[in-house]
Amino acid sequence: MVENRAEPVRLDGGFWGATAVLTLLAVAAIVFWYVFPIDRYLPEAIVTARQVDTLFRFMAATGSALYIFVAGYLLYFSIAYRAKASDPPDAVGVQVHDNRKLEFWWTVIPTLFVIILSVVSVRIWYEIMLEPENGLVVEAIGHQFDFTFRYPQINGEVTDEMHLPLGVPVTLNLTAADVIHGFWVPAMRLKNDTVPGLVTSIRFTPRLAGRYPIICTQFCGVLHSQMDKQVLVIEDKASYDRWFKGWQQKNAHASNTLPAEGGGAISLQGGDVAAGKQLFAQKCTACHKLAPFDQKLVGPGLLGVLHDPSHPNLVDGKPATPADVASILQSGYTGSMGAMPNASANGLSEKDIADLVAFLNTLK
Amino acid sequence: MAVAAVPAGGIADHIHPEPQGFVRRYVFSLDHKIIGIQYIITAFVFMVLAGLLAEVIRTQLLNANGGFVAPETYNEVYSVHGSAMIWLVIIPLLTGGFGNLVFPLQIGARDVAFPWLNMLSFWIFPVAGLMLFSSFLMGAPTAGWMEYPPVSLQGAAGTSMWAAAIFLVGVSSTMTGINFVVTILKMRAPGMTFTRMPLFVWGQFATAPLLMIATTALAAALAALFIERQFGVPFFDPTKGGSPVMWQHMFWFYSHPAVYIMILPAFGIISEVLPTFSRKPIFGYKLIAFSSMAIALAGFMVWAHHMFTSGLAPFLQLPFMIITFLIGVPTGIKIFSWTATLWRGKIHYTTAMLFAIGFVGLFTLGGITGIFLAAIPFDLHVHGTYFIVGHIHYVLVGGSLMGVFAGMYYWFPKMSGRLLNETLGKLHFWLFFIGFNGTFIPMHWLGMLGMPREVATYDPQFTFWNRFESVSSYLMTFAILIFFVNVLWSIRNGKRSGPNPWGARTLEWQIPSPPHYYNFKHIPTVYGLPYDFSQPLPYKGLEEELTDSPPPVAAGAH
Repeated sequence: MVENRAEPVRLDGGFWGATAVLTLLAVAAIVFWYVFPIDRYLPEAIVTARQVDTLFRFMAATGSALYIFVAGYLLYFSIAYRAKASDPPDAVGVQVHDNRKLEFWWTVIPTLFVIILSVVSVRIWYEIMLEPENGLVVEAIGHQFDFTFRYPQINGEVTDEMHLPLGVPVTLNLTAADVIHGFWVPAMRLKNDTVPGLVTSIRFTPRLAGRYPIICTQFCGVLHSQMDKQVLVIEDKASYDRWFKGWQQKNAHASNTLPAEGGGAISLQGGDVAAGKQLFAQKCTACHKLAPFDQKLVGPGLLGVLHDPSHPNLVDGKPATPADVASILQSGYTGSMGAMPNASANGLSEKDIADLVAFLNTLK
Repeated sequence: MAVAAVPAGGIADHIHPEPQGFVRRYVFSLDHKIIGIQYIITAFVFMVLAGLLAEVIRTQLLNANGGFVAPETYNEVYSVHGSAMIWLVIIPLLTGGFGNLVFPLQIGARDVAFPWLNMLSFWIFPVAGLMLFSSFLMGAPTAGWMEYPPVSLQGAAGTSMWAAAIFLVGVSSTMTGINFVVTILKMRAPGMTFTRMPLFVWGQFATAPLLMIATTALAAALAALFIERQFGVPFFDPTKGGSPVMWQHMFWFYSHPAVYIMILPAFGIISEVLPTFSRKPIFGYKLIAFSSMAIALAGFMVWAHHMFTSGLAPFLQLPFMIITFLIGVPTGIKIFSWTATLWRGKIHYTTAMLFAIGFVGLFTLGGITGIFLAAIPFDLHVHGTYFIVGHIHYVLVGGSLMGVFAGMYYWFPKMSGRLLNETLGKLHFWLFFIGFNGTFIPMHWLGMLGMPREVATYDPQFTFWNRFESVSSYLMTFAILIFFVNVLWSIRNGKRSGPNPWGARTLEWQIPSPPHYYNFKHIPTVYGLPYDFSQPLPYKGLEEELTDSPPPVAAGAH
């Protein structure tokens, strides 16, 4: 047996040559990712899309460099240290078991890199999270198999395209009527699931005019693949206003309280005040206070909603009646006060609605 | 007396009589080696079926508007493809298959701790597999392998069959996990301390607790889904007070550790093949072993990185991102150590070695895109797109399946006493390698540019790359066909291997191929790590293994 354990372990010229070549390639890859025009292939439609691309450039550059070193050494060692025909059949490699120093550094350097990557990711994530909250509020609702949109001051639902004005911060509230969908605009580098029974928000500021596809990314039923036909239109304020007025007129007589699924008004007979009070604590207090109207949380305060004359008129300029409130609970609301999801999204049965109305009616 | 037969180690070492008759030997066998081979054969049969489903998927995607099968059928096809490849192919191959076959030999045991439990684990598995495929008869599940409610509540009757089938696979996995943990803890040969165990054993040792613990969460989720679908108890339906996001938590609490169930044993295979064919000790044995345990532990704390778009509270997402990044560190240590193992070795290019080196190259790419996906802002862009499909296939095919092939070429002689044909093997490797990269690399940029996953039709601008992928996938399928031809041909006509064709040093190679049903005539004593190629073997008590002497029969054996 060939005993070459004692042979000193040293790095030869070939190793340093390979290292030099790999370093050059790695630098080239880093330069490549920093000059690569991503927005030529996919526009950056909102402000934070550029930040996401920056994060991608950083990860692609460092990832490529790392990969070039791993794959490069793997290839170089595979070729340089192959057994040759002239070797005795029992020839063995250099019997190195480990190297404390090397192992220390290839634990510490990746750990440091993870810390840097965490800082970079968290910073960019904060920029996405910290987009202004007081912007235009729009609601997108996932259905099998399209999205509908609700805007303040437009009655009812906008059913084809989603329009947004350039440069105006947007809060997009997402929910679904039936199953989970994914609301994705690739040009925004942003998506979120629309979950029935849950309202989630994403916030962003459009920066580039154009027409961008809206794509469902969560399997939602047999026609899921067809749920990529709608577009987000980002346009200047004048065009947006024209589109907005068009929908205001078109939907002038549409009700904000959409037809209940299954149709028909809800029977308010037999509403149980105590049960309603309990339900209110579970389902409503996240957005509504039991306080006068102007104490807004997400929606307005609801103390005296059916009795206080100073409480604004909720539906089509008429004072709120138990039937109106039931209708909003059933079908949701979008209007000057924001947006509220429907009964399906909130997980309310018809009995629950009757209980809630009975409870709200006791608040003076 | 039985007491007299108990050696100092505390385990009664005795040999049971060899089972007689075809049924007891090869069908309802208690022998871990036979059970391992049964797992491997069954899993490969399911792989053929699930692979054909994959080609239905790729054929559908030749054209932007589909047209090969109806959208409903297409949804069934990819759902069963994913479920079958994960639960009926990769997990059984790596745990029940190679685990059973190899690690009891490597620790010098006569069998696993609970052979009857082992037989039960195996026999549940083909039944569950047939149930899963039979769901096509009543309308297969359509919501992917993740079956998110509420849409899975609307799915055809086969969705409940799917839940029952996967539940059974889970029962089988859990029993296997218990069996392996006990075997490794209690049945190592004298002298085989934890820091002398071969790295494949470490891979199984890190995997088995995941099988035991994580699978219970999946079982609970599946039971709830089944009960909701069949009896209307609303666990997940939001209109009745259920929570659809709860399913995602329970599902991913299992399915993220399951990713490690599918890769840690493959890490183990690679850690055996690389030193053997480099004629060099594995570089950094201890760090490779401990990093497997670190990955397994951290694997329980990252499940919500699959749910960054599901509507979790933002501050809850942060720790999941950072812990996921951190898993890159132990994984990186392994990759660097494997690369360093080749340095100044004497590398023999067997097919097993090609697959092992290919594994390191391809898995590393999948690992790097995994880090990309953990970064929340980037994940908010590519979640639910073909980028994910590309990533998962780099890890599960470029990683796990390449590991399986490396293991097949490496241990086939131990199973059959014959070598697989090396020429066909190398053809298999190169065609597979090219076809694989051609199929899955373009998925990354397709996903980034706007192609969502789980679609039967797509935007026509993506037609070129989809056709490129489909054609590459045909090449990959052809390569796997070569593999099956190779196995079927070699099992009768392959070159006889002898006990140790590779000059390998772990215990399984020191006994005949295939081994006797009792494995070792005398349980050997272990004096060191198996990887010192310049030293004599660190075992004593193996002198009679390759001779014709009969095995001793312990006095008082029952």
